[in-house]
Amino acid sequence: MPEKKKPELRRSVTPWGSFAWGYSDVGADIFVGLGLVLGAAAGASNVAFLFAGVVYVCIGLAYTELAATYPVAGGGQYFVMRGLGDIFGFIAGWAVLLDFTIDITLFAWACVDYLSQLLPALNTTANPWPHFIVALALVLGLLSLNIIGVRESTAFNGVVSALDIVSETTILTLGFLFAFRPEILIHTMQTSWPSSNDLMLGISLAIVSFVGLESISQAAQETQRPASVIPRTSVALILTILIFALSYSNLALGMQPWHPIPLDAHGHTQALWHWLGNGDNNGKAVALLAQQVPYFGAVAAFYVPVLGAILLLISSNSGVFGSSRIAYAMSSAKLLPSAFQRVHPKFRTPMVSLVAFVGVSVIELFFAALPSLDPAASALYARWFNGESGLGFLADLYAFGAATSYSFVFIALVALRLFDPLSPRKFKMPFNIPVTVRGERAEFPLVAVVGFAGIFAILLFTLKTHPIGRIAGPAWLVVGIIIYLLYRRNKRLPILGSQRHDWRTQQAEILRNAGELELMDEYLANLKASDERRAQAAAAP
Amino acid sequence: MNAPVHITLTGLIVALVIAFAIGSTIWWMLHPPASFVQKLAAQAESEFERLVGSIMVVFSQDIESGHMMALAAKLARGERSELLAIYVIEVPFTLPPDAEMTAEERTALDALGAAETIAVKNGVNIRTEIVRARVTSQSVLDLAKREKANLIILGSFREGKYTGAPLGRAIETIAANAKCDVLIGVEGKHGTLLVDEFGQAAAPGGNEDRQPNV
Repeated sequence: MPEKKKPELRRSVTPWGSFAWGYSDVGADIFVGLGLVLGAAAGASNVAFLFAGVVYVCIGLAYTELAATYPVAGGGQYFVMRGLGDIFGFIAGWAVLLDFTIDITLFAWACVDYLSQLLPALNTTANPWPHFIVALALVLGLLSLNIIGVRESTAFNGVVSALDIVSETTILTLGFLFAFRPEILIHTMQTSWPSSNDLMLGISLAIVSFVGLESISQAAQETQRPASVIPRTSVALILTILIFALSYSNLALGMQPWHPIPLDAHGHTQALWHWLGNGDNNGKAVALLAQQVPYFGAVAAFYVPVLGAILLLISSNSGVFGSSRIAYAMSSAKLLPSAFQRVHPKFRTPMVSLVAFVGVSVIELFFAALPSLDPAASALYARWFNGESGLGFLADLYAFGAATSYSFVFIALVALRLFDPLSPRKFKMPFNIPVTVRGERAEFPLVAVVGFAGIFAILLFTLKTHPIGRIAGPAWLVVGIIIYLLYRRNKRLPILGSQRHDWRTQQAEILRNAGELELMDEYLANLKASDERRAQAAAAP
Repeated sequence: MNAPVHITLTGLIVALVIAFAIGSTIWWMLHPPASFVQKLAAQAESEFERLVGSIMVVFSQDIESGHMMALAAKLARGERSELLAIYVIEVPFTLPPDAEMTAEERTALDALGAAETIAVKNGVNIRTEIVRARVTSQSVLDLAKREKANLIILGSFREGKYTGAPLGRAIETIAANAKCDVLIGVEGKHGTLLVDEFGQAAAPGGNEDRQPNV
């Protein structure tokens, strides 16, 4: 009887679709990150973005190489599981899950902030309850839509991404052309340089502007010719986001505003960057900056908040389905209980995953909003958490989750380079040292070491400067590890070790399913040559 | 009150760099290198474009091409090709070249009229021509050369349809000697060509009572 073949997902995501998939996640980050970094790193915001940007480039290159070499759903969790084993794969995946749950809340929160630019009743400082209720409604609305199975259209994502890129390029181009004054930039950097603690805080928040590359690798399994397309879309995404982040931060520090900046709470004049970074405005900094661009600002004041809100809502939604997808992948890999694979009998959607992780995001939203809703809680936060709340609270955890998972991804990349040198790599990180491991020629990636050093530094900055991230982040990991250990013990699976995997057969199948037939031929030829070499070595006296 | 606009050289350069960098990055991303399979497909497509640059559909007393005309019209419409339909009246050697052949000419007019109708319906410009010749195949080859046809479309032999026998002398000669591509459409028997595992023609109503051919 012929073997029944499992139906495969049709590869329908085009290069632009793949880019838009990532952009709708990462592209929204700057809408949140700009204000937060300006508030923390002040005159060194551009330096904070540069530091995080360099690390981000390394992360991007690592993800590009891994997603092109192993084009499967699962992203960082899969790479780490394959490179370092099941338990580390679980930790990386669990940290990514934290990020996805934060993603849901953070972007829903920021979406309301951008809407408040046009609807002042939603302002978080003046009206915390309406702000909280609308953000909660958005999160629950997205949950309902995802349970029912109403999917956002890839075409819609593509159109919003295209509009946003054109819009942001216009804001920056006209901003630099009409309002940028280098002497203001230099003066701001000289007079408003932050303390080293604030700079570390700024850097750890700046990484928030670059989180979401996971999305492209998650989409790898549905992308046409992933080994060729993913490197291009990833590199394009890295460059686009990097250009935007560096340009925005420099423009904010060196811009001559078109309209007068309102006085601060004490009646003093304040600089543009200071105004953008304060607690009232840090959630909608891009819209306020766009408003200050000469001539164009009059138009931008109306549409940028709307465009930003839409992009942020899409990003929030990517957190909803991203968390359920990764939970499903982890459950398939026997890293999480099979309940996370269970689908709703009517809607055929992974309801348990959706409810569980959106539930976590609702709890996060509650804790983020609590100080603004209750004065007693505000005093408590002021005493124990340096008064962090709202966006700062969420960004804390976001930075922790990202830094943890990315650290593991770098180590996994090195391990895979050394122990799986036969898999063809259509894209490789530059600057490699040739080495021989177990009789096979491999290349040691220097950039991965630089990237790891950078992201590990950011992880340390996060632990040092974020009182909430320092407690809640590791607590999340500890809870996850307990769940993992109990599950593996219950299922009689290796608790600290890994299950047996036939990576050779799996890799050939992955490449065949990806339509990368030339790479599959190359891989099989590499295996054959390696086997022959080993046989000769064994036969030699 | 609005602040004055300051255009600085640095700002101008940075603005240009941003616009150029974003534009070129997106362009580069959208133009990935073609894979081997895509190159094969592109080659086949360019061959196809060359193939259907100018299409000639041939009718004659021996060649039934009515069923191919719709296909030719659709091809011509899709690729914006030139379409020429010819009817060759074969004049026997026993008659002078300008002998009156009323019945044949009437058939030719009907065939080309139908061809024009199909072309008009598909929104394609068509030229039609009635050609008198001693040998159909040679006249078709000469005409194809004169018209620089890229593709000659022929139907099947008028009398026997396709029964496993050769296509017919004229069609085979054209196919063998044409300097361009030739598409020969053998009209199927609309379902009766298929036979079941017992060698019986498949027909509606099932085959429960049929016995295998032994």
